Amino acid sequence: MSGQANSRQKILTIVILSLPFILFLFSLAIGTYDISPGKVIRTIASVWHPHSRQDLIAPYRDILFRIRIPRLLLAMAIGAALSVSGASLQALFKNPLVNEYILGISSGAAFGAALSLVFLGRAFPPQIAAFFFALLAVGAVLLISGRTESHFISLLLTGIIVTAFFSALLSLVEFFASPYVLQSLFFWLMGSLSLASWKDLSISLPLIGVGLSVLLLLRWRLNVLSLSDEEARSLGIHLRREKLLVIGAATLVTAAGTSVVGIIGWIGFIIPHLVRLMFGVDNRRVIPMSAVMGASVMLVADDLIRGLSSFEIPIGIFTSLVGIPLFLLLLKKTKKVWL
Amino acid sequence: MSIRVKDLVFSHKNFSLEVSDFSFDSGKVTVIVGPNGAGKTTFLKCLGAVLSIPKNAVMIDGQDLAVLKARERARLISYVPQEQDSAFNYSVGDFVLMGRAGYLSPFALPSKQDFAAANEALDYVGLRRFAERSIGELSSGERRLVLIARALAQNSDILLMDEPTTFLDPKHETEVLNLVRKLAGERKKTILVALHSLEMAVVYSDVLVFMKQGKIVASGPPAEIFEARLLENVYEMKIRVIDWDGRKVVIR
Repeated sequence: MSGQANSRQKILTIVILSLPFILFLFSLAIGTYDISPGKVIRTIASVWHPHSRQDLIAPYRDILFRIRIPRLLLAMAIGAALSVSGASLQALFKNPLVNEYILGISSGAAFGAALSLVFLGRAFPPQIAAFFFALLAVGAVLLISGRTESHFISLLLTGIIVTAFFSALLSLVEFFASPYVLQSLFFWLMGSLSLASWKDLSISLPLIGVGLSVLLLLRWRLNVLSLSDEEARSLGIHLRREKLLVIGAATLVTAAGTSVVGIIGWIGFIIPHLVRLMFGVDNRRVIPMSAVMGASVMLVADDLIRGLSSFEIPIGIFTSLVGIPLFLLLLKKTKKVWL
Repeated sequence: MSIRVKDLVFSHKNFSLEVSDFSFDSGKVTVIVGPNGAGKTTFLKCLGAVLSIPKNAVMIDGQDLAVLKARERARLISYVPQEQDSAFNYSVGDFVLMGRAGYLSPFALPSKQDFAAANEALDYVGLRRFAERSIGELSSGERRLVLIARALAQNSDILLMDEPTTFLDPKHETEVLNLVRKLAGERKKTILVALHSLEMAVVYSDVLVFMKQGKIVASGPPAEIFEARLLENVYEMKIRVIDWDGRKVVIR
């Protein structure tokens, strides 16, 4: 690589790394209730200066700390979680088209969370059942399609079948749900950040944190795992153990996210692809950059949703509507990067 | 490093590999030849434990290959596959660096030493200048050399190579096989190569092994065993061997 290209790469890296922080502060000012950026900063600063004009700031404080900050944190965590899980699974399955949705993880997690909400109530953390059924779903896909190196089409078909099965189970749960629960379930399933609360965050954020850390630490290993199974084994990889570790961590972050915000598709697909276009295929860069890009893109998507209209489109619908055409465009344009 | 094979049986579908007793000499180039489907690749994969093998079938310096940890095995034996077709287009440098996996914990990043080993391996095959390029940009001959470089970065005493010259033109074929000889000579590696070209096998091997239908049918120094009758028996076709200024030429 020439020196000029190298320094351009460095600038790009710095810009992308600083994006989530800038976007986070910017996003705090956006919403149905107008709070100017100046007031946002003053309100946040007031936490450290308790004596400064509390009366004026109190309502802003409520909005920022009870609604916007948890929502934005959740958006960033979900964006990072889905992107990193997508990138890791793509490496593991040696195919840039794989994602958590194809593998049945999303539908398993959604079923588990719904089951928990309907039968165990809102007080019980839905993350547990979400993780359990997500693992069950991906396990079923792997067992039926026959190991991780099987043909992509057979993996895809098995994924569709398992997803359909869990969707049917989910409908069954909806059938038994009371009309009141059903309404919130319906809204949640479309993928929505508007229900974010500190209570959800207090469970999901640490889980996502643990899963992301594992995948970040494994980032170089993912390069080796992306080779054929035979090659990876001959290079000294304990295949079963390391594959389970990656699938477990990717499933954990997806389930922890899905159980709070529902199914948000295409992020785990699009973001790693964009990152590979910008930074190359080395997972030492792809994994951390996917986390940062995923967090930023989710913030922007959420800003658009909150800023463009007074009613909120569920973000899951939004990411699919924007993501799919973009994906098709990329697919047509850059077949080379994939093969 | 000595490799001793005893009562190795590996079956898959209607093919079965059976080697009752065989030893490979250390520091030598052993070339395995035989018709398609004779079991050359399967044999190499068993020796590299890429396929799962029974206990006590392959001993490396007295250690049972089947019970070695993946990491320990990778430091003893490296396996060079026929072709590389990764879904991701890594740079040559990153690709060769993967040869260091056996020296690193799953959670570790490659260290300075690992980078040095990868660079040294690239230097050895003469492709250091390609380190920043992506593998997809290389010719198939260069890609073979990159695969060999990755095996060298693994720094193992035993090198298994599965038809490293298939699809290469005569110049690149010679280049790769010269490199194989150099590795045995300079680095004292024990090298096992599966080859199709009989002429090349005779010239570049210390020991020739003939395989047919999953079994070893003959072995020894090429000067002693390379003759028309054996070849006709192994390949089931008319073959003549002509001595041309001390070189064996195969006419068919």
